[in-house]
Amino acid sequence: MEITLPPVDLGAITPELIVTGTALVILLVDLFLPRDRKTPLAYLSLLGLVLAFAASLPLWGRARYAFKESISLDPFSLFFSSLFLLIAALTILISTNYLEREEIHRGEYYALLLFATLGMMLLAKGMDLVVLFLGLETLSISLYTLAGFMRARLRSNESALKYLLLGAFASGFLLYGIAFLYGATGTTNLKKVAVFLGKGAPLSDPFLFIGAGLLIVGFGFKVATVPFHMWAPDVYEGAPTSVTAFMIAGTKAAAFSAFLRIFLYSLAPLKPNWSAVLWVLAVLTMTLGNVVAIAQQNIKRMLAYSSIAHAGYILVAVVAGGELGGSSILFYLLAYALMNLGAFAVVILLGQKGEENLNLPDYAGVGYRHPLPALAMAIFMFSLAGIPPTAGFMGKFYVFSAAVKAGYIGLAIIGVLNSVVSVFFYLRVTVMMYMREPRAEVGPIYTSPALAAALVIAVWGTLQLGLFPGRLLELALRSIRPLLG
Amino acid sequence: MSIELPVFYFLAAITIGAALIVVLGRNIVHCAFSLVLAFFGVAGLYVLLDAEFLAAVQVLIYVGGITILLLFAIMLTSRASGPGVRILNEQLGLSALIAGGLFFLLIYALWKGIPALAIKVPTQANVPTIGRVLMTSYVLPFEVASVLLLAALVGALILARKEKD
Repeated sequence: MEITLPPVDLGAITPELIVTGTALVILLVDLFLPRDRKTPLAYLSLLGLVLAFAASLPLWGRARYAFKESISLDPFSLFFSSLFLLIAALTILISTNYLEREEIHRGEYYALLLFATLGMMLLAKGMDLVVLFLGLETLSISLYTLAGFMRARLRSNESALKYLLLGAFASGFLLYGIAFLYGATGTTNLKKVAVFLGKGAPLSDPFLFIGAGLLIVGFGFKVATVPFHMWAPDVYEGAPTSVTAFMIAGTKAAAFSAFLRIFLYSLAPLKPNWSAVLWVLAVLTMTLGNVVAIAQQNIKRMLAYSSIAHAGYILVAVVAGGELGGSSILFYLLAYALMNLGAFAVVILLGQKGEENLNLPDYAGVGYRHPLPALAMAIFMFSLAGIPPTAGFMGKFYVFSAAVKAGYIGLAIIGVLNSVVSVFFYLRVTVMMYMREPRAEVGPIYTSPALAAALVIAVWGTLQLGLFPGRLLELALRSIRPLLG
Repeated sequence: MSIELPVFYFLAAITIGAALIVVLGRNIVHCAFSLVLAFFGVAGLYVLLDAEFLAAVQVLIYVGGITILLLFAIMLTSRASGPGVRILNEQLGLSALIAGGLFFLLIYALWKGIPALAIKVPTQANVPTIGRVLMTSYVLPFEVASVLLLAALVGALILARKEKD
């Protein structure tokens, strides 16, 4: 039997190949390192991420498809790939310190982190629902393990188990949705789906609606929108703090990248139908996330609810759609990643062995004892609350103005009101740090050059995007255009 | 009149009968073994539908993998799975409602048919076709699946390995 192999365009997946290769090398090198000295692996994985980023730069030239149109190399996917590489690099920078303090001496940590990054990159590049699903599973399976990495801690086990059970459930919904979409359109290729729906195919096909609905449920689980958010606080609280940072910043961006490609591009003809559903989800998600965050005493839990609320703001932009809405999502996701990773870097810095020192009262007087980390934390909290001149403010500004321009004035008003509510619990952290007497003596904090570098990058990025957002917004506009056709 | 119809009824009876034992049986080991039978029945139905690949996968994964896993789970949790477990609980009505709803939904779907898939039934053997597609159009997902399995393997080792210290 004759098999004609299609042209294998390895150039198109060089960044992914480098990330995978680095992960494999780490698994091997790990064998030759002494048990309690795994930090060199962190630098090895950083090197891999930088190389992958460098390899992705020449791909920006012209948009093209590869592997029989199963992946797409357009500015959209490259924007997200770069974002994921940045998130992974910052996560590794904040991990070394933390892993040493918590005595997690396992090289596989870095390999799994890189596998997860690979999954995220495939989610952004995938043009075929099969690739998207496999990317999502690669990401999820790595994260299930990472969440349970502190095996001796009950909460870490709980986190991994809850994430596994609900994540598998969500994957089931997603797969079912993919099957229905395939049933309705006869293809799993997103480009062909778009063509099929674009040339006047009957849009009243119930299978199409069931498929789109199940996809919303599946992705809703992954990005933790209400009412599919139940797992998020427990999982985020129980997972090792560096993994929580990675999940909050990375998983959300990755799931949104695939979500946008499916809904803004392939299912664009159905927009009147799905945007009505997302409108409701956005309102519920913003409101519940912000209101429940007020009651939280544990800082990881508070940031978990805050991440739910932020998913709601991003849904506002998805509902708005168009060039403005789409580009504001890309901008928002970068700003969101920087300020969350930064905030978690401070949480790690101020934490004590055994995941201690994570409650709000523990932050009393930090502003006097550790002025620089406190200043950084204050900047991230201002940014999360959306106060100028920070990235968070510009992000919210673009999202809400996109909603107003698209005619969703009610939604924008609800969003702004929610932002006002959120100021309360973000600023409470700042008030604690600067206006309360320090508590009884806690142990010294350990810093490392890597953690300091991550903090500097996050602070710089947060302020840079807040003061000079123009260039990134232009890039975001350029990146979203290929999706909108 | 072909031989297919009686064979279909035979396989369907085996599948449904075994499935009923799975749900209603009191001894959980018996349930697990009837599950094997039910899976075999479904595999037979796949063969009848000219889906040999699906039949082979059904036997390999469900009969070979999942049932063995189930039996291991029963073996390791013997206390919780002894004979004489209650079969029905107070949620009977609710689950009957959901199962009935799903049944009618599937009947409706079958009755309406899936238009986009009603194109043509491939007549040639589908194992070589699937193999060829996997190695050509879907070669990238095929390779990604191997990375996925590696990540799962590493993850399982991490979580299950005994600490040395």
